This record gives sequence, C-alpha cells and structure tokens, in this order.
Amino acid sequence: MSLDRLTQKQNADGGWPYRRGSSWTEPTAYSVLAMLAVGESERARRGLRWLRSMRRADGGWPVCAAVDESGWTTALVALVPPELLGSDVHRGAVEWLLGTTGEESTLVYRLRQYLAGNAPPPDQSAPGWPWVPRAAAWVGPTALALLALDREQERPGSSTKEVAMRLAEGRTFLLNRMCRCGGWNHGSVNALGYPADAYPETTGMALAALRGSSAEQVQRSLAVARQFLADCRSADALNWLRLGLNAHGALPDGFAPADGIQFRTVPEMAIDTLISAAGQGRNPFWIS
Amino acid sequence: MGTIAGAAAVSSACRSSREAVRPRGLPASAPATVTIVRAAAYDQSLYATVRRVLESHRLNVRGRSVVLKPNLVEFEPGSSINTNPLLVHAAFEAFRGMGAASVRIAEGPGHRRDTLDLADAAGYFKIVPGFEDNFVDLNVDEASRVYPRRQFSRLEKFYLPNTVLGADLLVSMAKMKTHHWTGATLSMKNLFGVVPSGIYGWPKNVLHWAGINECIADLHAAFPRQFAMVDGIIGMQGNGPIQGTAKNAGVLVAGSDPVAVDATCCRVMHIDPLRVGYLRIAAGTDDRLDGRNIIQAGEPIETVATPFELIPQTRSYRLEKS
Repeated sequence: MSLDRLTQKQNADGGWPYRRGSSWTEPTAYSVLAMLAVGESERARRGLRWLRSMRRADGGWPVCAAVDESGWTTALVALVPPELLGSDVHRGAVEWLLGTTGEESTLVYRLRQYLAGNAPPPDQSAPGWPWVPRAAAWVGPTALALLALDREQERPGSSTKEVAMRLAEGRTFLLNRMCRCGGWNHGSVNALGYPADAYPETTGMALAALRGSSAEQVQRSLAVARQFLADCRSADALNWLRLGLNAHGALPDGFAPADGIQFRTVPEMAIDTLISAAGQGRNPFWIS
Repeated sequence: MGTIAGAAAVSSACRSSREAVRPRGLPASAPATVTIVRAAAYDQSLYATVRRVLESHRLNVRGRSVVLKPNLVEFEPGSSINTNPLLVHAAFEAFRGMGAASVRIAEGPGHRRDTLDLADAAGYFKIVPGFEDNFVDLNVDEASRVYPRRQFSRLEKFYLPNTVLGADLLVSMAKMKTHHWTGATLSMKNLFGVVPSGIYGWPKNVLHWAGINECIADLHAAFPRQFAMVDGIIGMQGNGPIQGTAKNAGVLVAGSDPVAVDATCCRVMHIDPLRVGYLRIAAGTDDRLDGRNIIQAGEPIETVATPFELIPQTRSYRLEKS
C-alpha cells in the first residue's frame, strides 16, 4: 500500500516532497532507498540524479533547495550505496559527517566555558550531531549519523579509525541522553532538574542506532519501546520503533501496525516500505 | 520551494493588503487596544465570545486569508500545554463568519515530528471538522529565505513558511504560560512555532543559540500583520512551558498589537512586563509597555489578575505591584 502511494508522489524532477509540492532531501533519500529495495530502479535512478544535483561544495546536503547550508539530511544520503550515488560523492558525505559535531563539543565553545569557569555537564562528555551547524547535538540527527556510519563500517574497505571513534562517541552521546524512564526524547533529559519524558519515535531511532550495543541500559529501553509499540498510533513512531526493536531482535513476531494507522507523509510511506523489504532480507540500514 | 525572489514576492503581496486588515478608522500610530474577557470554561459559549471580541477590534478580513497559529507542543493527558482546540475552532468559525476568503490552522511543533498525531492526541481532529484539510504542518511547508526588517539576534536570515508569509493576517493563539527561561510564553513566543523544524530541527535549537529573547523580537518584526489571542482560560504556572501545572485564570486576552497583548497578559499573571526580555526589545521603549499607554477594553486587569506560580529561577520576574 505504502509503495503504490510512494511511487505516485515522485515529482517530475525526480525528487519527492513531504506530502506535496517541491522536492526535499529527507523524503527523497528515504524514497530512493525504498525504490532500490523493491527493485524500482528507474524511479531510484531519477531520485539519485536529484540527490546528486543538490550536493553542496562542502560535501553535504541541504534539507531543500531554498536552504544554502548543509545539514542533518547528509546522513540519509550517506546511506545510499556508494556504487549508486558515486563513490566520491558518497565519500564526501561521510567526510562531512565525520567533520560535524554539536557546537557544545567544539574547541572554541569548550575553551570559552573553561575560561568562564563552567565545567562541561556529564551529558556533554561525548560529541553527537546537530540538526544544523552552529547548534547543539540532539538525539535525532545523532541517531541518523550513527546509522550512516554503522553502515559505512560494514562496507568492505570503508572502516576507518575515525569512523569507529565517532560511532563509539555517538553511542555514548545517546546513552548519556537516555531519559530516566529508559527511553529517549529529542535529547533533553531534564529541564531545570525536572526529569523529562521519552517519546516513542526518538526511542526507536536511538535503539536503531545502538544496534549491537551491549550497554546495560539498552535492555531497559527495549521494554520501554515495546510498551510504546503497543500504545502509540503515530506512523512515524511505529516505523522507528519497529526498526529499533528489530535492530536488537526484539520486535514481537508478526507485529504489524494496527488498521487505521495512517502513513501520511512520504518519509512514513518510504520507511514502511523499507521495513517490509528488510523483512525479505533487503535492509539498507544494516546487514542482517 | 521559494527563493529570495519568492520571499520578496510574498512580502510584496502582503504589504499591499496590510491596511485592509488594520482595524477600520484607526491611524497606524494609535495606542494599542487590548481586550480582556472572562471565559470560565471551554464550552459552546466561546463561539459567541470569540466572535464578539474579534468584531470589537473591527478587523476587516473580508476576502482575505487568515492563518490561525495555536500553541501545539506536546500532549500529556490532563495537562494545559496546548491551546485548547475548541478556542481555535471558535476563531476559525468567527473569521469565516466575518467573510475571510480562507482560514487555515497552522503549526510547526518543535519537539515532536508527527505533527498530525500530536494534533489528534490534543483533540484537534475531534473538535475541528475536516481538521486535516484545513491544517498546514509548518515544519515541512514550502519555505522562503527572509531578512526581517528589524534584526535583534545574530541570525542574519530566517527560513519561514510561505503559508504564514503569504497570509493577510496571522493570528497568534497562544496559551498563557510561564516559561522557565523567558518568564512568560504568550503570543510573541508562540511564533517560534512558525519556524520550520524540517529546516532547523527538532528542537529549533538555532534560535536558542542566537538568543531566545532576540529571536522572539526578530520573528515579531518579520510578521507585521498579526492579531493576538491568548488562551488564559486554563493556563500553566510553575515550570512552564511543558512541565508546569494548570492555572485557572478564566480569561481571553486579545488585540492587534502582540506587544501590548503580552504585556497585559503579564500583568494578569502578576509578572512584570518590564522584566521580560523580548517585550523590552520588541517594544523599543518602556513607555509602550506601560499600562497607561494601552487602551484597556473589557474587564479591568485588577478584576481578573491572579498570580501564576513562578519557579525559583524566574521569581525575579514577579510584578511587585499590580
């Protein structure tokens, strides 16, 4: 069902919109991955051409044509196999990710804080990724960057010390940002000392990015994710919860979103399609 | 997707209709009028109340496009985080009844990606017939690069949604809440919700790094055709804007000048508007925040004012004399 609607949503320029209108990088990257997973090679080829046309000189991708700066969607493009995206283009995306951290982890910021007598808070001990440059790191973009680098590490000849280091640091970042309940929200564990609640979608994203982690906290978060899976009705959240639980072999057998769940946006349709394809052994996020 | 040229076109289109939206018969330099009305509950009587308030401000929206911007942040059962959907629907019906060519509800939540799921959980689908057809998710709306006419933060530009840039009237329908960083979040702070998360992320952290108070003033300057209506029927006190507790204030506060409306809300909450950073920046002069320079309609402030609890970090905002 999602695949049919997804194919209808492709714009004439080859990209995909969120719902309708002009093409954006996030829906296009997910849709290209979905088209590749289901063998729709011509649609994927047109989408890839659009993605390549959006690449910026610094090796990253803007979220859409109107924005003149690379940002978080670079991680999604980095998930596209290099043999299809172009090896140099792919390498540029990975390099962009490796060179990007939250502003709070930059040398300049840390020096300023040191000179002001401020010790870094414990949750800033490891760098994550920001949505946009010159802002702090958050759970969403960190999870997406980790998925891209994890996939990169699995590619023969692509694993480097730097990739391994950023993967380890990024996973520490996520564990530092786990809410007291065991899940994740956007990345604010508490507000002025008051503990904050977790969200289903970010809990799923973080779990997907923590695939293979043996951290004790992850076991607790799987129970939180399963509870979210039973309760929530958001298509986006259900997608990420399925991916997150699947990454740890903890998705209940035969689980499917309830009737009436509406996959309204292109990313929701595309990730739903990717999850179906992953069940048949074609997972773009990791090698099962 | 818009471009600089697109933004200019939108801005130009807006300028041509500005006078038509201003209250009839009032010069541009007239003191702001702020209306306070009592509203005890979210019930059917709100429809008549809201229509009466809007008509009292003599807004000419006939044939114009109106965008209602509620405050939709997160959903917790029993909480008072979000603008109540019944109030938004009352405004929706009132503007349609006043002849607006189009009325849309638009919001871009800063924490949760699934905007429609959030709106559903908050009751909008149930209360507003055909909600999805009349709603725009500003987080992923077409956007244009904009250079506000007055710039207070270090951001030199904003990317803003075309739905809002192109509206003849933007109605900020905020919740009356305390805010742990700015003292109070009202109609002006509510404009953070028009900044698209699809571009800036969840949360829109760039605005914090560039200065919250300054960015609020920037956004206020970017949208010169506004009307503000603050939902103080049940507000939030304490550790707002999310983790506070409900506060029954029983009022709606409304007017065409968001600075004057928010200053009035502060007085209702026993918060000193002169201590709220973004109000001072946007006002330009403290005289503009002085209650004697705001024409008060409806209930006098002193008859509805009720102290909102403040957490220790914001107690310096307390208004010492009402």
